[in-house]
Amino acid sequence: MSRLQNKKRHLIVLTNSRSPIAEAYRSLRTNIDFSSVDQRTQVIMVTSSGPEEGKSTVVANLAVTYAQDGRKVLLIDADMRKPTGHRTFQLTNRTGLSSVLSNQSDLEEVIQQTEVPNLYIMTAGPIPPNPAEMLNSNRMKSMMQLLREQFDMILIDTPPVLAVTDAQLLASNSDGVLLVINSGKVKKDIAIKAKENLLRVNARMLGVVLNNVKRKTSEEYYYYYYGN
Amino acid sequence: MSRELDLRDIFQVIQKRLWLIVLIMVLICSLVGVYSVFIKKPVYEASTKIVVNQTPSNSGTNQLDLNQINTNIQLINTYKEIIKTPAILDQVVESYPEFQLTTEDLSNKINVNSVNNTQVMTVVVRDLSYVKAAEIANAISKVFKSEIPTIFNVENVSILNEAKTEPSVRPQPVGPNIILNLMIGFVVSLMAGVGLSFVLEYLDDTIKTEEDVKEFLEMPTLAMITRVSQNEQESSQSYSTSISGGKDHVTITK
Repeated sequence: MSRLQNKKRHLIVLTNSRSPIAEAYRSLRTNIDFSSVDQRTQVIMVTSSGPEEGKSTVVANLAVTYAQDGRKVLLIDADMRKPTGHRTFQLTNRTGLSSVLSNQSDLEEVIQQTEVPNLYIMTAGPIPPNPAEMLNSNRMKSMMQLLREQFDMILIDTPPVLAVTDAQLLASNSDGVLLVINSGKVKKDIAIKAKENLLRVNARMLGVVLNNVKRKTSEEYYYYYYGN
Repeated sequence: MSRELDLRDIFQVIQKRLWLIVLIMVLICSLVGVYSVFIKKPVYEASTKIVVNQTPSNSGTNQLDLNQINTNIQLINTYKEIIKTPAILDQVVESYPEFQLTTEDLSNKINVNSVNNTQVMTVVVRDLSYVKAAEIANAISKVFKSEIPTIFNVENVSILNEAKTEPSVRPQPVGPNIILNLMIGFVVSLMAGVGLSFVLEYLDDTIKTEEDVKEFLEMPTLAMITRVSQNEQESSQSYSTSISGGKDHVTITK
């Protein structure tokens, strides 16, 4: 039961598709699409400076939003240290990214279909001892090449930038990076440091997703009553 | 904080920490209230009035001399100081051992005022007991009257009215002034609360708004995801089904 509630909370774009939050995700999708005119943004990585800022929630909702747009979407849970993607969509995590990278499974085996049409998930898999080396491997690069041919959109959930180097490694395999910032919880210098770390590996910063913004009553007016 | 703080920002800061400001105000005001009503003992006040007139040295006429009066008025200030000096107070302590006061205590209790541009002085004594205050006031006046000729060349000191030791109406305590204390507490706590909220706001260097992102990260904000409230989570399922039904209906009629 608690898991079901957990799922509901994560995927508000599914459970409450007319809510202002779902609308925010749709506008995020639009903003990403229009932020790159010349370059194709196919692989988007979502990260944050520290833990518990809502990366997994943002990436899962964004993936659903893309899928609802009719695109074939793959969500990769690359946080092999603290995987959550399988829980959000209530799937098994027996095999996943780590099993592909360690040559234990084939790519086709680990891509699971969700109940959302067009949305596929690659869970993190069993927790490996060396996630950073795995993500930096040639197999990872070739896997990404294969996936790019199969999917319209690939979204990657990553560990926090400042905690481990994984996000930096993944950034080089991505077309764009979204930085999730938990509003009112992240200090300015921390956020600046996270951005610098990502820029150092030549990541293309798409922009910031401000999470947990305190809702203002004046703004609520716009969202809730328009079109109702 | 390179942007200038405009009025709306100030209001926002206050609005945001309103609970803190109110909490501080309620706390301080109730502390002041408890202190004034229950802890601080009531203080009573008794006063005597003394009129001082320097005897004219060349008093040939009975005419009032304006200069003389002015001089007396000026001299009142001197007398006010004299009353508070040990010259008088020591005498009071000596002559009235029943008060069990030292000169220091006495000088803390008394207050000498003069009504503007008159030759009348008021000796005000405050004490926890009204009777004692009245007795002290009377004692000081008497000692002053008897001592002043030896210090100054004045003989014309008269006590206009003595403090009544047995008043017909029960005297009201003059202190503590609960209303005044509460008002001071209110204003001080309001200032402290507002000040504290600005300090907290200034110390809070987290990223909160789109403007912060633009200013410090130089990146665009692509989305603002608001906090999901508890009741929204619970009602979300029924909300979405009812809306989707309505939406379908609208689509068909179109």
